[in-house]
Amino acid sequence: MMAPLIQTRALAKSYRGNLAVNAVDFDIAEGEVHALLGENGAGKSTLTKMIAGVVEPTSGELLLDGAPVRYDGPADALKRGIAMVFQETSLVPSMTVAQNLYLGEEKAFNRLRGVAIAAQQFLQSLNFTVDPTALVATLGAAKRQMVEIARAVRLKARVIIFDEPTATLTPEEKRHFFALIRRLKERKVSVIFISHAIEEALQISDRITVMRDGEKVITDVTANFTRESIVQAMVGRSVGGGTTGRKSAVREAGEKVLSVQDLSMGAIVKNTSFSVYAGQITGLFGLVGSGRTETAKVIAGVMKRDFNRGGEVRLDGKPVRYNTPRPAVQDGIVYVTEDRKVEGFFETMSIAENLYSSLLSVGAERLPIVSRSEMARLAESWSKTLAIRAINPDARVIELSGGNQQKVVIGKGLIQKPRLVIFDEPTRGVDVAAIAEIHHLIEKLADEGLAVMVISSYLPEILKLSDRILVCRQGRVVEEFTPTDATEKKIMYAAVH
Amino acid sequence: MKSVFRQGMLTQERIVLVFALVLFALYAVFLKGFLAPNNLVAILRSIAVLGILSVGMGIVVIGRGIDLSMVAVMAMATAWQLTMMNSGTPALTATAITFGFVVLVGVANGVLIAYADVPAVFATLASGNFVFGLIRSRFIVQDAVPVPQDATLLMDFGQARLVGMPIEVIMFAAAALFAFLGLRYSKYGRYVYYQGDNYQAARSMGLPVRPVVILQYVLSALVAWLAGLVTAAGLQSINTRVVNSTLLYDVILVVVIGGIGLSGGKGGMRNVVVGALLIGIMLNGMTILDLPNIYQNLIKASILLVALIIDSRLNPRDEQVGQQGDI
Repeated sequence: MMAPLIQTRALAKSYRGNLAVNAVDFDIAEGEVHALLGENGAGKSTLTKMIAGVVEPTSGELLLDGAPVRYDGPADALKRGIAMVFQETSLVPSMTVAQNLYLGEEKAFNRLRGVAIAAQQFLQSLNFTVDPTALVATLGAAKRQMVEIARAVRLKARVIIFDEPTATLTPEEKRHFFALIRRLKERKVSVIFISHAIEEALQISDRITVMRDGEKVITDVTANFTRESIVQAMVGRSVGGGTTGRKSAVREAGEKVLSVQDLSMGAIVKNTSFSVYAGQITGLFGLVGSGRTETAKVIAGVMKRDFNRGGEVRLDGKPVRYNTPRPAVQDGIVYVTEDRKVEGFFETMSIAENLYSSLLSVGAERLPIVSRSEMARLAESWSKTLAIRAINPDARVIELSGGNQQKVVIGKGLIQKPRLVIFDEPTRGVDVAAIAEIHHLIEKLADEGLAVMVISSYLPEILKLSDRILVCRQGRVVEEFTPTDATEKKIMYAAVH
Repeated sequence: MKSVFRQGMLTQERIVLVFALVLFALYAVFLKGFLAPNNLVAILRSIAVLGILSVGMGIVVIGRGIDLSMVAVMAMATAWQLTMMNSGTPALTATAITFGFVVLVGVANGVLIAYADVPAVFATLASGNFVFGLIRSRFIVQDAVPVPQDATLLMDFGQARLVGMPIEVIMFAAAALFAFLGLRYSKYGRYVYYQGDNYQAARSMGLPVRPVVILQYVLSALVAWLAGLVTAAGLQSINTRVVNSTLLYDVILVVVIGGIGLSGGKGGMRNVVVGALLIGIMLNGMTILDLPNIYQNLIKASILLVALIIDSRLNPRDEQVGQQGDI
């Protein structure tokens, strides 16, 4: 193998003290296709973003052609030949393909036709079948990706990084995409390919690196891997601390609270069916993009299912259809969001005001008058129940730690006296101590007889909490496990297969 | 800079209050006649209509909206009402019809924004123009409509004084007080703050966000109508040319300068009063100085710009800092 084009030495990145990438040594040679595998949150994206200059490393060294470099930003990295193609493409939808290809290089008097002709020739030289005069907005995901790649090639990129390129592609488009990668390889362009689709990596790459919890587990030639050994490397983590571990006893299912039949929403949720029972925690595992969050949001009325053939949602046996979240909340369905900042709490307000919003919102027959003393009492009792710790009780929620913020959001939901609580990634961005507390709280809710659903892409969390485990893939629940027969390997296999 | 402001002492409201007091002191020392009781009452009187409008605008802005149709509703609804009364419609009937019309405009604004997802700026800009065009072309014949001589109630109302204060000032105080109580102590007032702070969160937790949006715009339309009636009572007529004046921008100036962040969920009626006082003092002083209108506009514009910059620094919209990011 040739000398590496890019090499990282103990490259690390931490966000607010949390290590996202921990001392990773990684390298890629010229004309190599290198697959980067790992679960959500393994640090793949962060590592490549550092390589592409999007994110600045906290420590460690990045070598380009053997010499250490520090970028001034992604534009600088691009100038040195490193391009990154993001999950959401960065093209301008209202412009044509040709305009997008030459974005930022327009002359003062730009001749559209001239640009289109140049683009046509260039695309042909790459063997890309994209119409340069088409608007980007009208293109499918695969063609958009072609345009992105063409732009990267045109800018003489020597390394192109793809972040989950195949997640949105159809099988047909995937074949095109792989052919394209082979062509890039022939042109001596190196490719870093981030994915959690194991088969694809085995099929297309020369070497594979597996990451887990921010660290590199293994790098080897693809031929030395099997699907099993990759899964093993992806999930085989050390079990420790209070946040993981097996549950001791499985709760019996109570009455069926929620039953979902053939639920569909757009291209994201497809014909999914499952049930949730009282007094039990139903875990829903799936990778990002598998439609878990959307399924939950449809049930809670945040999103609307398809009008035709949208399937059926039954609450206590009665069919329900919510167009807004309000009636769902009134019926006792509470959805605790995965993105608390965007749709969870009121950032400029205090803990008390946030909790009190629930009391004003739904339920309790009460005068429409705000009572400061009631608000203070509510805040005090719930802060105690949930162990919310704030140095200053008047602090704005945005100033609290992630764990305390999450507890406020959970408290907001519980005050509404739900019968069914759906926790979406309940411990994302939460410190370890608070994770244990939140887990304990979720278990207590189930013990008290609530129907609880936990959505997570963190396997140990699912295994620790769930009395039943559902696995979601491509918009539907594909498999169900009992805690006794579930293993990380089996679940991961079901989720990626 | 942000941290200094957040630490408490330097809120925008306090800066503006201090600024107003300094301005007041300077005028008092250097301007002859500024401190005369009549002039002080005149200041209050001159900001009354502006203040009433700002109360309505303040409510909408707290709910993360904006109502550009207020001045049109103020002038046109009142002008139509007076025209009806002039042509013999009983006062009560005319008032009832106008009330219905004003509520309808508010509901239309709210429905456009909450249900049709039209940005508030465009929805209210269009509805304001629509109201102006409709009433100017269909229902009134000249730009200025006088208060009919037999409308003694409105006439007397305009001349009335309470504890030595002109009725305009009393109405401003009353409107501000009602809005203050409603926003602070009623659950609907809190809804306005919740959805102004985070619309998505308010919706997901089951607050009736869309009805509250409609309520906001109905309130601002009604407040605008009140401002129109107060104007008519004071001047014995209403001039619809005010729609094309800078009054609307003065209203926004008051709201923003007072410290109600355009990003929503912040501030209250205190900010409106402080903002109105500052503008009132400033304009009055400039008038006594006999500054040409053009320079007055220049000064107002500069102050608005500075206030907007301070606002966007204090209340950044869509604060993305601290975002977790994809690890």
